[in-house]
Amino acid sequence: MTKGDIDPPPFFKSWTSMYWLVLGVLAAFILLFYLITEAYK
Amino acid sequence: MSGLDWGVLVGTIAFIVLYGVWKTRKAQHMSGYLRADNTERWWMMGLSIMATQASAITFLSTPGQAFDDGMRFIQFYFGLPLAMVVLSITAIPIYYRLKVFTAYEYLESRFNLKTRSLAAFLFLLQRGLSTGITIYAPAIILSTILGWNLTATILFIGVVVTFYTVVGGTKAVSQTQRLQMAVMLGGMLAAAVVVVRLLPDGVGFSEAMTVAGTSGKLNLVDLSFNPDDRYNLWSGLIGGFFLALSYFGTDQSQVGRYLGGETIAQSRLGLLMNGLVKVPMQFLILLVGVLVFVFYQFYQPPLYFNQQQASSVTTSEGAPAWQNLEAQSQRIFQEKKEATLALVQAHRENNQAGEEQASQRIRQAEEKRKEVRQQAQALVKTHNQGTDLKDTDYVFLTFVTQQLPKGLVGLLLAVVLCAAMGSTASAFNSLASTTVVDVYKRTVNTKASDEHYVRASRWFTVGWGGVSIFFALFASQLENLIQAVNILGSLFYGTILGIFIAAFYFQKLKGNAVFWAAVGTQVIIFLLYEYTTIAYLWYNLIGTLLVVGIGFLLRPFLREQA
Repeated sequence: MTKGDIDPPPFFKSWTSMYWLVLGVLAAFILLFYLITEAYK
Repeated sequence: MSGLDWGVLVGTIAFIVLYGVWKTRKAQHMSGYLRADNTERWWMMGLSIMATQASAITFLSTPGQAFDDGMRFIQFYFGLPLAMVVLSITAIPIYYRLKVFTAYEYLESRFNLKTRSLAAFLFLLQRGLSTGITIYAPAIILSTILGWNLTATILFIGVVVTFYTVVGGTKAVSQTQRLQMAVMLGGMLAAAVVVVRLLPDGVGFSEAMTVAGTSGKLNLVDLSFNPDDRYNLWSGLIGGFFLALSYFGTDQSQVGRYLGGETIAQSRLGLLMNGLVKVPMQFLILLVGVLVFVFYQFYQPPLYFNQQQASSVTTSEGAPAWQNLEAQSQRIFQEKKEATLALVQAHRENNQAGEEQASQRIRQAEEKRKEVRQQAQALVKTHNQGTDLKDTDYVFLTFVTQQLPKGLVGLLLAVVLCAAMGSTASAFNSLASTTVVDVYKRTVNTKASDEHYVRASRWFTVGWGGVSIFFALFASQLENLIQAVNILGSLFYGTILGIFIAAFYFQKLKGNAVFWAAVGTQVIIFLLYEYTTIAYLWYNLIGTLLVVGIGFLLRPFLREQA
């Protein structure tokens, strides 16, 4: 099996972009939660 | 419970079970039975993965935890999306290339039979014991609050799940889980909306958040680093990452969900969907708990939510002391309610000085409430020796049964039963597949037909179902054992993950070194648990590092097969 055997993800050209989306969403959630914590401290 | 609630509950469960059985009724071969013939789409796997992890306790304990301790538990899930990415890159292509039925099969091709058997044994021990508790834990709460017969509740969950898992194998588990997930998410969303609507006039979502924040419930992120503290950003990101890596990458109850994918891409997307949705889903469940907390700032909550345990005090010589605590609790509640209403008023008028003054009164009342509650807990403890005293598990269901409108009560109970059934089904299915593939087919009966192994899988599913039901039935007499099993489970993950990390990333490490490193690591983990106060999330990281480290230390001294 080579890298080419794996289908690309939807909406993105590469899996790397897909992984960055997941990590970016996580970072956004952590930032949002941090802001909520600080706002209501 | 009303007729409408019974109708919603029975109708929902019956529809899901019958649908799952009907869709998967045809006789199957081994690949179909244990790997769903590799026909699963990403969203089906994503839902299945989430339903496997979301046990009934997720929906009972988590809101109770938010009610008591705030939302900081959310940090436990921060490492999960990271783990989904790592597993998508590394584990999935390897499992697909080798066309394995179980994660442990891979260990034999990489190391040797004994390392495969050790990992499979640790999984069977851990999952086999804990599945009984997956059934027992919601059954005891449902039977206490609703007055259902405990034995009948355990038998109902255990037998129904065994039935559809035996009939349809992995496909039935997946088909039912997607419907169960829809019920769970829909039910919790409805609960969140209804709790806000039940708040007094003039108290909306914004005011509810102010009240929750004043009481310290919106503590979502804690940046301080403390290895003894279970929930902070760092334990969530690092400890949670290793726990998720171990659970989703090496636990057959999860690996079995995504091995049934059509392609590597579909399985990856299933895992990544879990990475994207899990954090907001847990946020929603915790938010419901916080909203229930806010609700109980305006309506008197019981002094102790587990009424069965409380009644052991009220029917004893402790009754006068209990009545005294209840009277104190009512006075404090009134004080706190007035302060909370003042806070809401000040918030609406944008009066910061008023908000600060009201907040201070709330905090003072909260300190008094905690004191009274501690005294109540101590009283309950003296009259319920040896039993689990975590009454926060009863908060959400008490609220549901006493406050929600007819119909929604049935739906929320369906949420709890769906969660119990979904996670139990995955456990039965994975226990059977590991027993057949890694034990029976590998060492007991190596040359039988495909049909024979499917039949054996069905019988092992029945067998594990029976073991779990038996354990659940007797768990009520063994409260200490339940805690021991829960702790034991969390102590194995690091070692199993260490074996797999060594297999994936350290090509120089061979079978004998890894096997003995894993045995040594497990002993060290037990010693650390016994003699230190390290939070359990860190055992995953420590176990992984120890297996790899000891493996390298032993490598020069052990002879490996060519």
